[in-house]
Amino acid sequence: MPRELMQSSPAQGRFSLDPRSKLLLLLTGSTILIAGSPQGIMTYIRPVFVLLPLALLFLSGRSRVAGRFALIYLAALLAEQVLLPLVSGLGGFLLVAVLGILTRFIPSLALGYYMVSTTTVSEFIAAMERMRIPRQVVIPFAVMFRFFPTVLEESRAIGDAMRMRGIGGIRLLKNPLTMLEYRLVPMMMTTVKIGEELSASALTRGLGNPVARTNICRLRFGVVDALLSAMAVAAFACFLTTV
Amino acid sequence: MIELKNVSFTYARGDGENGLQGINLKVERGEVVLLCGTSGCGKTTLTRLINGLIPHYYEGMLEGEVTINGQAVSQLPLYELAKMVGSVFQNPRSQFFNVDTTSELAFGCENQGLPREVIEARLHTTVSDFKLHSLMNRSLFHLSGGEKQKIACASVTACHPEKFVLDEPSSNLDTAAIEDLRRFMEQWKALGKTIIIAEHRLAFLRNLVDRAVYLKNGSIVREFTARQFRALSADELETMGMRPLCLKELKAAQPAGADQRLTEAQESTPLAEENHHLCLSRFEFAYHSSEPVLRMENLTIPKTGVTAIIGDNGAGKSTFARCLCGLEKRCSGLVTMGGIHWGGRERLKRCYMVMQDVNHQLFAESVMEEVLLSMQRQKTKEATKITKATETPEAKAEIILKSLNLLHLKERHPMSLSGGQKQRVAIAGAVASHKDILIFDEPTSGLDLVHMKEVAAVLAQLRRMGKTILIISHDLELILKSCTHVVCLEKGRVTDSYPLNGVGVNKLKAFFGSGTVSSEPVEIEAVVARAVGH
Repeated sequence: MPRELMQSSPAQGRFSLDPRSKLLLLLTGSTILIAGSPQGIMTYIRPVFVLLPLALLFLSGRSRVAGRFALIYLAALLAEQVLLPLVSGLGGFLLVAVLGILTRFIPSLALGYYMVSTTTVSEFIAAMERMRIPRQVVIPFAVMFRFFPTVLEESRAIGDAMRMRGIGGIRLLKNPLTMLEYRLVPMMMTTVKIGEELSASALTRGLGNPVARTNICRLRFGVVDALLSAMAVAAFACFLTTV
Repeated sequence: MIELKNVSFTYARGDGENGLQGINLKVERGEVVLLCGTSGCGKTTLTRLINGLIPHYYEGMLEGEVTINGQAVSQLPLYELAKMVGSVFQNPRSQFFNVDTTSELAFGCENQGLPREVIEARLHTTVSDFKLHSLMNRSLFHLSGGEKQKIACASVTACHPEKFVLDEPSSNLDTAAIEDLRRFMEQWKALGKTIIIAEHRLAFLRNLVDRAVYLKNGSIVREFTARQFRALSADELETMGMRPLCLKELKAAQPAGADQRLTEAQESTPLAEENHHLCLSRFEFAYHSSEPVLRMENLTIPKTGVTAIIGDNGAGKSTFARCLCGLEKRCSGLVTMGGIHWGGRERLKRCYMVMQDVNHQLFAESVMEEVLLSMQRQKTKEATKITKATETPEAKAEIILKSLNLLHLKERHPMSLSGGQKQRVAIAGAVASHKDILIFDEPTSGLDLVHMKEVAAVLAQLRRMGKTILIISHDLELILKSCTHVVCLEKGRVTDSYPLNGVGVNKLKAFFGSGTVSSEPVEIEAVVARAVGH
């Protein structure tokens, strides 16, 4: 089964956010957690952004994933409190680095996961169009979403063909360049062909039309979106004062 | 009205695609016109002239004039033409631009910038007219080829064009999906739309077309009215290089002479005799923590025969092929040949699948190297096996290439060859690496009569070499021509398995006939023979 970059069918959950507020939350959340430090007012704001992704995941029916993220985060936090004072020297330095990365990145990762797993490609494209991002940026994005699974499909078929021919294994190590060629040449041939046919088909359906494109995907910027966005903006303002 | 006046076209890149000379054609509003002829006769080029891809997308020398409702196609931008002409193409995989089906249906209308309410209303009617409810809000990457083609037809319909141009839309479809395609065309026709369709498979169009245009080497050679077209006999069609109009007319080819006796001998031997069969028992495969998608209690495949694997899209044919080749690791069960158990690894060495898209399996820079590449691995084994130690690998490769009629192409780059030639190069590779079992995945999808016969000849050749051959196919004509046995799959289970004798042929036809129920009764009894070497 091919893996898409984002969801292609809407989730069945009741709770949903507008992709624009998800994007805003992701950007502010990760900036504050990764670049900021727990000083002054940020001591109170940071925990909010740690708990927010968990709450969002939980509300969209992904409690198991939320639980896993929470567990890793708690473990890292606990280790920071308990283990760090006991270890010194190089080991201590390494531990600080690993735990620091974990505690800073896990909430952002969870937020990123939330965004990718609850947004459909068409919602994302619609949001970009709504944000007045030019067509020259939006269409390459649309093509990327369309092409990523295609390239995976092709690559898998080529891998199968190589296994059936017995190409690979020890010879792969002896001659990596040839192997790369064997993988890439058929891949390029097929993706170029698909790309060519795809553009022909898209053009006969009026892709080049200069009129403003409609997008049937309904985006609802609701009360929750407004509240969360306001909070994100406020938090970011606080973050700027502490820098 | 579509009018072509004295049109000639030559592609700028002369890579095998054939141009047109002196085409004069008028298509009235509401007419259904079939463009037929062998591969390379120029029918695809003709469709491109009408939907404007020529001259706007494919470059070349164009003479004469193509007009739609009096407007010259060359003067209109493609997005304006898109409002008048809807196009459906051959390959379902390269026709969608979005990732989910709903956006795909709306795509054409969105490009026109229609108000959202209008688009939503159109989607609603399209979905209910063509009963697409179950396909909405799904990932296009998880749909079968037939389902994708349905979405392609529907998304074109939603744009409300007056004219439809279809370029070999049925090539990759099974019987049920072809029937869906026919229904789409029927509805368009009922709405008074003009349809121009280029096709190899004629049977499903039998009662739809108003006129058939026969092209040869880039020119219109003959035109048939609907009545004349329906009256064409199988022999006439065959001399024109075309597939049959009525599938029921087909008869199994009786392999001549020794082959025939072999078939009879096989029929009389009990199926369980291990030495002559590939035996599968409790052969199962499941994706992670789900119901098995493949479950075969007991299946025997004759070692010296050609077995057709049939079943609708999603019946598990491809999964079966992948498992048999040893490509799926999580596949359980026993596969034995001559009493010896073959594990997944062993099967990977013994089996070879000729994929639907052969481009995936050609790696080397010349045909010769492609064959030598397969031989390298065998070096150690061969030294003990082959008695004639004097033979160089090149000489052996030449023998293989000659047997597959490829010797004159040995210096060419595999990617520069035609589809059929590529297929044969892939087969040559398999023969060179001493594969015993060859599996063909849809070897004749989208092929005309001449090329289908070529494939059948190669299959016969491989059979004489003593290979075990399995063919996954929707092509009744090919199965009747080449196969000795049939295995029918449904939902991953074997529902039937029979030799292709008199009874078997009827069963097979019943299977393929089930999907082609026409609104008008087709005379079932008109049986005409069309056998190999006939």
